[in-house]
Amino acid sequence: MSAAPRQESDRHDAKGPLAALFSRPEIGPIGVMLLLFGMLGYFSIPAGEFSLNPFAGEGFNALGIRNNLRVISQLGIIALGAGLLIIAGEFDLSIGSMIGFAGACMAMILRWGFSVVIPYLSFEGGVHIEFFTLIHLSDVSPLGAIAITMCFTLFFGWLQGYIVVRSGLPSFIVTLGGLFFLRGLTEVSLRSFNHRPDQVKGATTVTEIPDIKNIIHLPGHGEIEREAAKALPEADLTAIVNALPADKVASITDRLQYTYQRIADAKTDIMAARGVKPLERALENAINSGNEGMVATIQEKIATFKVTPVVPKTVTDIDVARAYIDSVVTARPVANFFGGDILEPIFSWLYYPIDWNTNNFGNQFAPGLYSCVMIWVILSLLCYIMLSRTQAGNWIYSTGGNLNAAKANGVPTNKVKVSLFMFSAFCATIFATCQVFEVNTADAAKGNLKELEAIAAAVIGGIVMTGGFGTVLGIIIGAFIFGIAKEAFFYIPGIDGSFYRVFLGLVIIASALLNENIRKRIMGAI
Amino acid sequence: MSALKPLIETTGLVKKFGSFTALNGVSLKVYPGEVHALLGYNGAGKSTLIKILSGVFPPTEGQISVEGQPVSFDSPRNATDAGIGTVYQDLALNPLTSVTRNFFLGRELTRFNSPFGLLKMDEMHQIAIQEMAKIGINIADPEQAVGTMSGGQRQTLAIARAIYFGAKVLILDEPTSALGQKQQMEVLKTIRQVKDLGNIAIILITHNEIHARLIADRFTFLSLGEVIGEGTAKDLQGDDIKRLIAGGAEIGDLAKELAAT
Repeated sequence: MSAAPRQESDRHDAKGPLAALFSRPEIGPIGVMLLLFGMLGYFSIPAGEFSLNPFAGEGFNALGIRNNLRVISQLGIIALGAGLLIIAGEFDLSIGSMIGFAGACMAMILRWGFSVVIPYLSFEGGVHIEFFTLIHLSDVSPLGAIAITMCFTLFFGWLQGYIVVRSGLPSFIVTLGGLFFLRGLTEVSLRSFNHRPDQVKGATTVTEIPDIKNIIHLPGHGEIEREAAKALPEADLTAIVNALPADKVASITDRLQYTYQRIADAKTDIMAARGVKPLERALENAINSGNEGMVATIQEKIATFKVTPVVPKTVTDIDVARAYIDSVVTARPVANFFGGDILEPIFSWLYYPIDWNTNNFGNQFAPGLYSCVMIWVILSLLCYIMLSRTQAGNWIYSTGGNLNAAKANGVPTNKVKVSLFMFSAFCATIFATCQVFEVNTADAAKGNLKELEAIAAAVIGGIVMTGGFGTVLGIIIGAFIFGIAKEAFFYIPGIDGSFYRVFLGLVIIASALLNENIRKRIMGAI
Repeated sequence: MSALKPLIETTGLVKKFGSFTALNGVSLKVYPGEVHALLGYNGAGKSTLIKILSGVFPPTEGQISVEGQPVSFDSPRNATDAGIGTVYQDLALNPLTSVTRNFFLGRELTRFNSPFGLLKMDEMHQIAIQEMAKIGINIADPEQAVGTMSGGQRQTLAIARAIYFGAKVLILDEPTSALGQKQQMEVLKTIRQVKDLGNIAIILITHNEIHARLIADRFTFLSLGEVIGEGTAKDLQGDDIKRLIAGGAEIGDLAKELAAT
């Protein structure tokens, strides 16, 4: 057998699994992310305690996880839109303003309904502008409000994309225009709508939207907000309990008894700690003064110190009724999908019987995760499949990687770009939807600077600014790094909290350098 | 040879850009299994001719026929569908993605034939490797980024792609320029392999008369938008080619003019 002559292709071996892993663009960001997780874990362990387990700290207790994941996933949602657009070679600076606009639009529709009006010039009683109301919907469902808002934001996304591909102007300029235009439009509309008697005149906020996600259907009371239901007269609440099946009442009672016992225990512990404190101080003084008899006496006292245990509250029918109302499934699934909580049964289980999701006062710490986490996961998964596994993904990569090559091969590059501008607007709208249904208010200032955070997260995650390179996994990691950095730095003792920005600034520059290096290596320039 | 019908034929192609005449009545016949070298000085009209053939813009006058049927192209896509595959100098490759992704760029195999259907990656890898092997390049890793390949390999990828997607006429625009000596030979070998397939007509645009002489069966020389000479490799001997590529008659006239003064 004669050896085949050596060929050009022999110089390039198929990579082994380990080499393939380390040449992935995400490997650097993953390192930074793990470092930040470690920092958050260890620095948040209360002073004086020692633990090798990073999950022992406050950063990773139930409430910490709930709040951190909310920040991360909100950023993650818009970073997906910004990141995919950058891969296709364009920017969107209007994301932040789009969030403000979408939130305000949705909130106004939910608060006052939706109208289509035609302005016209009236000559009766002096020349002035009159408005003819063509359509007025006074009660728009959450889904309707989202759909109408989507129409507006997707149109703006389309318009920006269309201007960019038609004119050939840099998207930086076009979307910078969009940034000012949309923010201004939001403020103007909110001010003009807030002449209403029930709002502060000229305010750029919308308040007093009902807590839509917590509207439930309660037999005998129709549709009612949870808080209002819990405040019903006691007779009504008792009637509700009496109508419940016995095993349901038993299980609720069981859990409430556990809660009350847990609260009582926590109170007892707090009282004991408080009672021992003066004795410990006295002991310290005694040791300092060298009075050995006194030291022995006080030590004896500390050892035998006891407080009478707090007696837990007894569970009443009213308590059962309120707990039951909390457990009733929402009558507004769309609002709850965007603004509610997820994984509630798991977090409830972690409280009882696991006893991990418990705060210092014995109560359940976190009710669940914010729903935006689930939406982020769904969107990320869809984007991952789209970008890495479908034709659309290959078109996005080639549009950003070599526009002329993509065009020459029949890729509809203009359509790809315009669609991604629309997707970026879509992500901003989803972000705003989650916010509006979570907090039931809107503010024209919402989403300020979010466009830059989204771009930063994408860059940290290995997206190359010139386009054509990057992955969804990278964008996800970028969002984690950006979201967790603030928390991690907050817990470092004796350091100004704003150092997290210094850190992020360095990470952004380092990531950009690294990304450029990887890109050049692939282009064959190094 | 004369028994063969030309695969692609142009008659009296004229292209005017405003008052400027880029092509002035160019007729061309290209036969299957042949390399037809299109030679000429800068600005002779070679690029205009191939842009018309590949559907970038239509001719002002004249007719193109493919396999005897008159055709007209509104877009590059039309030309591709009619079986004219053009491999431009920049090769239309995305250096940041893999061999397979470039091979199928714009024509990916997907489930349900939808842009959002999953890519049939395994099948695509297999075809890419197979098609490149047919014209003499073995690639070890179809996931390899095109940016890491040699210039010759990239050329092969672009040619293999054009052939796989139905090119009967392959237009190669300066395939050997900007390559090293060894890679130029690799590209010429690839062209020879394509020629040996027998059913494909190759139009080779080049500056390099040595390469043309090594591989071409038939020559057409352009100058100032007109054909100033043509023939088979046998017809043209020695200095003819050199003379024609440098502008031909024009220089002869110039010499006479100089002598006359």
